[in-house]
Parts: sequence; structure tokens; C-alpha cells
Amino acid sequence: MAKIPELKSQYIWLVALILFLIPAVNPLGAPFAMSDVTVKIYDLMQSLPEKSIVVMGGASVFAFDIESSPGMIACLKQMAARHLRLVTFPLGTEAAQYHKFCIDAARVDQKYGGPWKYGVDYVLLPYTPGGSAALISFLKSVEATVTLDINGVPINQLPLMRDFHSYKDIAVWMCPHWGFIDIIRYATGECGVISVSFAQSAAYATFSPYMMAYPGKVYMTNGYVGGAQYERLVGIKGLGHKVVDSYSLISVLIPALIILGNITMIVRMKEEEVEAKE
Amino acid sequence: MISTDPWIWLSALLSISCFSLLYGDNKAFRWAETTYTASVIGHSVVTGLVTLRDRFYPLYTGAQPQYIVPLILGILSIFIVWRKYAWLATISMALMIGVGTGISMRALIATDIIANTRAVIGETAGILKGSPADQLGNLIRVVFTIAALWYFVFTLIPKGPTAKPFSWIQTIGKYALIAYIGVAVGNTMQQFTGCATSAIYRIVGLWLGFG
Repeated sequence: MAKIPELKSQYIWLVALILFLIPAVNPLGAPFAMSDVTVKIYDLMQSLPEKSIVVMGGASVFAFDIESSPGMIACLKQMAARHLRLVTFPLGTEAAQYHKFCIDAARVDQKYGGPWKYGVDYVLLPYTPGGSAALISFLKSVEATVTLDINGVPINQLPLMRDFHSYKDIAVWMCPHWGFIDIIRYATGECGVISVSFAQSAAYATFSPYMMAYPGKVYMTNGYVGGAQYERLVGIKGLGHKVVDSYSLISVLIPALIILGNITMIVRMKEEEVEAKE
Repeated sequence: MISTDPWIWLSALLSISCFSLLYGDNKAFRWAETTYTASVIGHSVVTGLVTLRDRFYPLYTGAQPQYIVPLILGILSIFIVWRKYAWLATISMALMIGVGTGISMRALIATDIIANTRAVIGETAGILKGSPADQLGNLIRVVFTIAALWYFVFTLIPKGPTAKPFSWIQTIGKYALIAYIGVAVGNTMQQFTGCATSAIYRIVGLWLGFG
């Protein structure tokens, strides 16, 4: 019997790379279904009165938060168009960078031709250590928790922060991070603030019961697909759409590899049986 | 058109170096790995210094003199590296753990136990109403929740006639946990696929100018 050549892992990665490159160079426009929850989040943001204050905050790792960025960036565009205001509150060291990245990528600042002016329409607060304790303190009193913005300017000199004192001034808390549970526990559970997460797909299965526990108060999208759904609602094609294309192609590769692996295993078992008989 | 931004070049080279591990361990990957580790540590140090400025600005201006207490506790925690006086660090550590546990327990009972129990009761009511798909979804969720809880709560199976029904429910609980782990692993795969797409798009789109 002819021997099956060994399939090196490098060949598999090469095929995967080619499949990843195709949508990066030439978007396929793979179809995807719209989720009711994503539409509800969009409608919620549309229904907020002008000048409402939205907080973007939480803690996690930048590398994984990239998955939350397509939905968050699309939502920031929507917020700017709706004349909502934003305050960022990073509870992790990398969250401060991530918040600035999202705002820059959304091109909502006046320096990019957008409608938002720093200090008036949005404020970047610095990393605040303390985790849950810092979050509780922030919800109770913003001034007692944070005194300077990320640039070292006292917050009482920023027009937006004069209207923002406690959780009572927050219309929605957006959490594009893994650490959504703390936001649910304290912002929603204790203060009744509506919380939204552009959740990472690895976190979605863990966090989704909270949507059942707090109906109408906690909303989540699921990973890049959720981001692509939000991009569609806002009318842009960003990273979410590109990843959906990749999912489509990789979804073909994975079953093919599973079938190939099983065929190889069965043939090898037969070979071993033959060798054992000999 | 290829980018002329040096930061995008650096980002692309680091990404390619990271991907090169798929071919095998090599110097380019080691360079990317050590650069990343060093930059994360460097960033943490700088953020820590900036945080000290932000935190203790009101103390410096005299607006909030009570901030002297966390400053002292913070200084005490540094003694952890000095074996002879390491016990001083336990004061701030104990306070931090105590406060952290206290506030977590407060919210955990209301959010994770009471609110989730309320959600399961709501789903139980939903088994008999709504579309067939919703009814089935609610039924699966309720059965899986009860069975999984059962698996953890009743770790010892009683002997006698109730032994079999107990073990059946435990088996369903095990399947519920396996289903959960399967969903979580599947979602994690999606996350990694997405992150790889993001990195490849950065190389192809932002660096090389395609797409």
C-alpha cells in the first residue's frame, strides 16, 4: 500500500494564510444575518437625546479588545452624528490607549473633519487603578475619583465634565472590553445604568446570561460578526466585514482539514494492522 | 501604494515576525517577542508614573489632604521587596484584599445569584409561550441550568432508589458543561481567526496598500 506523505503544519498555515489574504486584498462581501440585539442597541443610541453622556470604560487587553473595535468604532460614528457626548474611563492600563485608538479610528474629532471637539464633546480620562473600588467611586462621584484628564488638565476646566458628576448623568455605559461583568454588577445592578458591550466572542457565552438577568438593561453583540452587523446599521464597511469574509473561507478550510485528518488516521490504522499481521 | 509611515512599517515587521513562528522558532520571532515584552513593561512603568501624578494631584494642591492615607499605604506596599520589612506590605495588601472581597461579595449576590435565578424563573415561564424555537431555547436553558447546578451541588449520589434519577440528572449536567465548553472554545477560535484577519489586513492593507 502506498504511504501517505506527511502533512507538515507549515503547509496548513500556508493554505490558511492564502485564505486570509484573499478577503484582505479583495473583499468578498460574504452574507451574514442581522441580530435583534444589535438592532436594539442601534435603536437605543438613536433614541438618546442630544448631548446625552455616554461612558466608554472597563478593563482588558488591547490585543483582544481589537475584536470589540468594529462595533465600537461604528457606534462612535453614530454617536458623533447624533451629537451625543463621550467620556472614557479606563480601568486597565491598556484601555487608555485603546479608547484613544477607537476615537482616532472613528475619525470623529475635528482634526479629522469630524464634529467632535475635545473637552466639549468628548473627554479622555487617564487609567484609574483600583478595579471595582475605583468603578464604584466613579459612579458615586466623578470629581472625587478623577481630577485630571489624560493630558493632565484639571477636569473642572473641561466644559463636558461640568455636566458630569455621577452615575445619574450617564445615559449608557459602553464596555468594549472583557471586563464587562464589573460594569453589569455595579453600573447596571446597583445604579440602574444601561450597559452595552461589543463583546468578544470568547466572552459572549459567559456573559450572555446577564442579558436574560437584566432584560432591557444589558445588551451585547457577539464578536466580529456583531461588529459587522453594527457597521451595516451605521452604513460603513470596516474590519467587521473583512473578518466575516475570513470566517466564510476559514469555515471551508476547517471541515476540509478535519476530513483530511480523519482519512489519514483511518489509512494509518489499516497500515498498522497490515504491518502487525506481517 | 506602500505606506511611508515608519510606525506602520514597524507594526508590519513586528506582525510578520510574530507570524514567522508558524514556520518554526527563529530570530525574527525572538526579536518581536522581546520587543513586545519590553514595550509592555515600559508602558506599564510610564502609566504608573503618570497615574501617581493624576492620583496625588489633589494632595499636592491641598484640595484633598486625606489622600495622604493611600500614599502611605502605597509606599508600604513597596517594602515587599525588602525581606526584613516585608511585613509592612501586608498592611496595605490586607486592606486591598479585604475591600476587594467585600465589594465583590456585595454585588455578586445581587447580580450573579439573585438576578440569574430570576432570569431562570422567567425562562421557565417562557417554555409555554412564544414561538416554538423560543420555547425550545428556554426549555434547553432551564434544563441545562438546573442539571449543571445539580452536578456541582450534589457531588455525592445517595444510595437507594433515588440513586439512578440522581445520576441521570448529573449526566445531563455533564453534557451541559461539555456543551458550554464547546461553545466557549468555538467562540475563542472565532476570536483568534478575527485577530489574525486584523493583523493580516494591517500588513496587506495599511502597509502594502492593497485592499
